[in-house]
Amino acid sequence: MGHPVTTNPFIIMLINMTVVFAVLIGLSLMIRLIHIVDPTKSAPKTAVQPTASVPAADAAAPAEDKNLTAAVIAAAVAAYGCSEAKIVAIRPAGSSVWTNTARLTGIRNTVN
Amino acid sequence: MEVWNAFSVSIASVWSDSGFAGFTVGNGIMVMVGFVLLYLAFVKEFEPLLLAPIAFGCVMANFPKTGFLEDPGVMQAIHYGIANEIFPPLIFLGVGAMTDFGPLIANPSTIILGAAAQFGVFISLAGAMMLGFDVKEAAAIGIIGGADGPTAIYITMKLAPHLLGAIAVAAYSYMSLVPLIQPPVMALLTTPEERQVRMGQLRPVTKFERLVFPVVCTIVISLLLPPVAALIGMLMLGNLFRESGVTDRLSDTAQNALINIVTIFLALGTGMTMSAADFLNAKTLMIICLGLIAFIGGTAAGVIFGKIMYVLSGHKVNPLIGSAGVSAVPMAARVSQIVGQKYCPGNFLLMNAMGPNVAGVIGTAVAAGTMLAMLG
Repeated sequence: MGHPVTTNPFIIMLINMTVVFAVLIGLSLMIRLIHIVDPTKSAPKTAVQPTASVPAADAAAPAEDKNLTAAVIAAAVAAYGCSEAKIVAIRPAGSSVWTNTARLTGIRNTVN
Repeated sequence: MEVWNAFSVSIASVWSDSGFAGFTVGNGIMVMVGFVLLYLAFVKEFEPLLLAPIAFGCVMANFPKTGFLEDPGVMQAIHYGIANEIFPPLIFLGVGAMTDFGPLIANPSTIILGAAAQFGVFISLAGAMMLGFDVKEAAAIGIIGGADGPTAIYITMKLAPHLLGAIAVAAYSYMSLVPLIQPPVMALLTTPEERQVRMGQLRPVTKFERLVFPVVCTIVISLLLPPVAALIGMLMLGNLFRESGVTDRLSDTAQNALINIVTIFLALGTGMTMSAADFLNAKTLMIICLGLIAFIGGTAAGVIFGKIMYVLSGHKVNPLIGSAGVSAVPMAARVSQIVGQKYCPGNFLLMNAMGPNVAGVIGTAVAAGTMLAMLG
């Protein structure tokens, strides 16, 4: 190990924070650049191509498919043990709360 | 009579060779410290995965005449893994495999918060030098403020290995106390209006971005700061295992079996450095105080930069996510989430806070690398 370049804490702080900010801002710019050059960027819209068995059902009998979805959800709720519950409507959640709750639960087991 | 003499000499020999003969008051105090840490780990559940092996290592380190570090054996092998910086990069491999970089990639502006929180490192460094530590010791102490145990151990072994026990214990203890340390600072520095800001959903991140970012990050940081190439490289390799979609077995091993095994070795080995002779001195108390200052400083700096982003973004950024800029993944992000929900139930800041949280890991490694380049 050689001798330290400086022992002045304020100069060390100044140099280090400059480097830290410069590197992280540089990474931020690279993230944006990666997003710009991403050839798969528009893929999600086109990638939602129906898979082999689903499209026919979607196109041919949408109402029937909705009934099937309702039946599957009702069966799942019944299997969970909520026998007293009565399903009166099934609709997509208006907020992202459920999604975020699931994410929060999923991330609870990680450590650093 | 001859039998009696032989018996008494043998008993005296057994006694003089035993640990009891060399057991000091200091050893007794450190064993008690180990018991307190065990209590915190098992009863209070403060980072039990880390604190439990550290605590038990602390107890074992204070048994005299064991020759743990002098004689070949498992304890010496564990110490070798710490002394030669083998374990911290392996921990980073697991952390990379566990961590979703998506929030950072989706909102790269929050990377600034990860940089800002590094101010705590340098506030602590300046304080340490004022208290009489030399510059290398002060740099190692300062890294406690990064709230990143493996990086703290990594840099301490390079700059001030004699302080490893105190720095590692301070770093991991404060990491476990993040939910207690951060909220008062966050509440003090923000207004009710700021705390109630709801941040929008993050944009979807493509697999291309998830794969390219770790590679680019490794190349840039390893070329710029070679001393931390092992840390950053392993972090990003672990993340590539996770995101590639074709290395599930490697990802699973890295984020479960491997990190658990290495955590046991790293934490036990760290505890083994807490012998009374090395630990019971005024410097240890100063390091623990400086660590707290570093944590508070880092949290405050992150929140203050969050407030700046709140103003610049037209009140779209909740300053509470700034506190997640200290590394402690994902606990610091969870604290942002919990504090945000306390003031506005139904407000979900977790994924937005994961951006600065991941940036904090990278920022701490960059700060460590810069200090190694300057002082090493």
